[in-house]
Amino acid sequence: MTDPLDPVPDRLRRSATSTRRHRPGRPLRQPVRLGLLLAPALVVVGVFLLGGVAQALAQSFGYQPYLSGSHLSTDAYTALWTDPAVRASLLLTVRVAVLSTALSAVLAVAAALLIRRLGRGRAAITGLFQANLAVPHLVGALCMMLLLSQGGLLSRLAHLVGLTATPAAFPAITNDRFGVAIIAEYVWKETPFLTVLVLATLGRGAADLEAAARVLGARAVQRLRYVTLPLLAPALAGGSILVFAFAAGSYEVPYLLGRPYPATLPVVALQYFDDTDLTSRPQAMAVAALIAVLSGVAVAGYLLVVSRLSRRAL
Amino acid sequence: MIGSAAARSAGSGTAGSGTARTAGRRFGVVVLVGGALVPLVPLLVWAFAGQWRYPALVPQRMSLRGIGLLTDPRSEIPKALLTSTLIAVSVAVLAVVIGYPAGRAVGLYRFRGRRAVQFLLLAPVIVPGLASAVGLQVFFIRYGLADSATGVVLVQLIPTVPYAATVMAAAFANLDTDYERQARALGADPLRVLLFVTLPLMRPALLLAGLFAFLISWSEYVLTLLIGGGQVTTLPLLLFAAISSSDTTAAAALALLVIGPPLLLVLISGRLPATRSGAVIGLGRL
Amino acid sequence: MTATAITLTGLGKSFGMTDAVQDLSLELAAGSFTALLGPSGCGKSTTLSMLAGLTAPDRGDIHFDGASILDLPAERRPVGLVFQKPLLFPHLTVADNVGFGLRMRGMRSRDRARRVAEMLDRVQLGGLGERRVGELSGGQEQRVALARALVLEPDVLLLDEPFSQLDTTLRAQMRALLRRLHVDSGITTVFVTHDQGEAVEVADTIALMLAGTLAGHGTPESFYTRPETLAGARFFGVTNEITGRTRHGRFSAPGTAIDVSTDLPDGDAVLVIRPEMIQLEAQAGVVDGRRIGRVVGARFAGTHVSVDVELGHHRLRVHHPAGRPITIGQSIGVDLRQGAYTVFTTTGR
Repeated sequence: MTDPLDPVPDRLRRSATSTRRHRPGRPLRQPVRLGLLLAPALVVVGVFLLGGVAQALAQSFGYQPYLSGSHLSTDAYTALWTDPAVRASLLLTVRVAVLSTALSAVLAVAAALLIRRLGRGRAAITGLFQANLAVPHLVGALCMMLLLSQGGLLSRLAHLVGLTATPAAFPAITNDRFGVAIIAEYVWKETPFLTVLVLATLGRGAADLEAAARVLGARAVQRLRYVTLPLLAPALAGGSILVFAFAAGSYEVPYLLGRPYPATLPVVALQYFDDTDLTSRPQAMAVAALIAVLSGVAVAGYLLVVSRLSRRAL
Repeated sequence: MIGSAAARSAGSGTAGSGTARTAGRRFGVVVLVGGALVPLVPLLVWAFAGQWRYPALVPQRMSLRGIGLLTDPRSEIPKALLTSTLIAVSVAVLAVVIGYPAGRAVGLYRFRGRRAVQFLLLAPVIVPGLASAVGLQVFFIRYGLADSATGVVLVQLIPTVPYAATVMAAAFANLDTDYERQARALGADPLRVLLFVTLPLMRPALLLAGLFAFLISWSEYVLTLLIGGGQVTTLPLLLFAAISSSDTTAAAALALLVIGPPLLLVLISGRLPATRSGAVIGLGRL
Repeated sequence: MTATAITLTGLGKSFGMTDAVQDLSLELAAGSFTALLGPSGCGKSTTLSMLAGLTAPDRGDIHFDGASILDLPAERRPVGLVFQKPLLFPHLTVADNVGFGLRMRGMRSRDRARRVAEMLDRVQLGGLGERRVGELSGGQEQRVALARALVLEPDVLLLDEPFSQLDTTLRAQMRALLRRLHVDSGITTVFVTHDQGEAVEVADTIALMLAGTLAGHGTPESFYTRPETLAGARFFGVTNEITGRTRHGRFSAPGTAIDVSTDLPDGDAVLVIRPEMIQLEAQAGVVDGRRIGRVVGARFAGTHVSVDVELGHHRLRVHHPAGRPITIGQSIGVDLRQGAYTVFTTTGR
């Protein structure tokens, strides 16, 4: 099965004797050559990304580069741990990320199964979904505001059909405590992404396997449960991890569509970061480290789920 | 093969439930298309609205003021457009230049730790850039890279290099090195092989990788904010400010401008068969 | 379980403007092993698909033991189908693949395990139940596919070029296995192939399909000795066609001394004869049945010598036993024995 995080085809791994892989005599020896080829990219990832996170971690303990007399302590973490705002943020972030991911995944599977059966409309809808992928999340946030706010389009439609009399009568789903509009924006943007991913995974192969299952006596619901869903599960899991990680780490959308309190972790991180109080900087770093840990948990979860899925039997 | 024959006649299966199924399908399609398009409707209308008070469903007055702002030299928009474009193009070029050799290493060679390297190269896709940017900021200040477009370009390499490298790796895995060897046998030195054989063969992948990098950079907000320090004004920063202001028309018009290039590039790349298949995963990052 | 007889009546299926299958009528005896033979695109896979219920015919009917099965959806037909590609479920083990159909029927896990193990032994994959699909070779995969279909004890077994992706030696082994399984189970089997050598080797009867319709149905020998249609004869590799006319019960070819009796009506006709059925005798006078020709070419071909003989305006290809001397330019007697050839009418083509 193809791992969406590793699109290099399987045959690369299987062929042990392929002469294509043999490099003729070169001035540079292979490990050196490989090192040179990989160096720039690994510098970007290693130094910038991982180094940045490591720095955030270090600075969260009070380490201050370029300043003497920095003393290390866990004050920042203690402050965060005892701050109910941070706990509320963590809860909100996880809730928003989990709900958005779950909803998007379910909708994406349903959409993919539907689109698969379409004849001529299929290319058009897939094109529409791909166009949706091009819309930046920042714009999506604005769209949701204009659609879902109490003065927005939905509210006006509700007024039109007589459900509400004033803007305030329409439920406040933007800038609310629960994060409804935030979830809506993520679902709007990520469902097409996951749908296109699932469609690509099912491709041609799934139809053949379903035909085989049919002849073996599997009814439609059984085919879905025992053939189709297991086939798309790995790709869906991989894609869902990407969605979760993105939702947990995104800033613009929860800032614009949410509240300052409780805010998601990225928003809180920047709140502390911009704060002129000296003790806030390490706290900002700690929140950043927490965000990184959250994504790490997501990846660990993905690896666990994928390895369990590929070992599952009937 | 039988499977395709069965797929061809999928509609001619058991009768009776056919019409109910088609109706359900039509409804599903309407929901999908509607869901995808409806949120864009108020945006489109607001961009051309002069006055649009509650509870009107249509603006009381239309106006081209919002659109006019886009080209008005007195607004910061044209300048931000230039900045965004320059930065995005720089990021695209750099990301591809960095991703190309990494992709070649991962795609063409089998070595111990290859899996780990692939995983590592994808780390920025999982770990939010925000987490590392806050840690890096003090260094960028120290080296004079903060508050500058250069710094912004550098930090935007973090989310873009993974995509460039992954696209190139997939392309290299499909590259037949016999072409290069044939060129060498015909007397071309390594540079010529690169220029006249490899790069032309890699062109669709190079374009796709550049496209991804451009789109990611074009839409990037947080990294630009943190490293640019408010001095580097790209379109997303302006849009953010506009959204936070009360001028909805201006925000909507600006949003249309921000959507423009990504939409255009996606539509174009959708037409090119070689780039179509890879377009998916990268675009999700936006 | 008693074997099932299959009857196809007037079966037809079109895709857009093309008629994949036109008016196919065929009777397959209970317990028979029939090869559905034909070139690519002749409609044999579509026919199989209709038998399995994956495609609905536009015209005609299919009966199992006299009862129409068209109303039965694919998942309820007592049919086993082995495809060209094994189509094993990649997320399941070998045992789970084989037991899939049993699981769909609701059989309990313990009973399933027993039946699966038995079946795996029968296809010589005993003990490989816990292997994953990706660890199998091509031949093993097809055996799993076979086991998966047979474990359900279907009334009819359909195979769509199941061994075409395997190399030659493996194919021969798989054919032998299939024949053994057929002998043991007695299931009515339909085996689709485009390879006439394979059809001749594996099946009791051959149904030849050309351009969507039946062009012959009989034992393998009958296709060699008494082909039913000219197209069928050509498909089986007859290379000698002598055109002529039939008149008053006799066929004659101008320029040769060929004059044989036939019960075809008057008109244009062609006589076809296989290369190995022509006897060459050193000339010893014109005897009844012999004509005189001239050797114009001879090439050693392993088991025989391929001789080109000119007979009047016609050039014949003859497979002459190796070891009997032939010289180029030699006058030779060409013997067309009664029963060695067939005459077809070509009027109205």
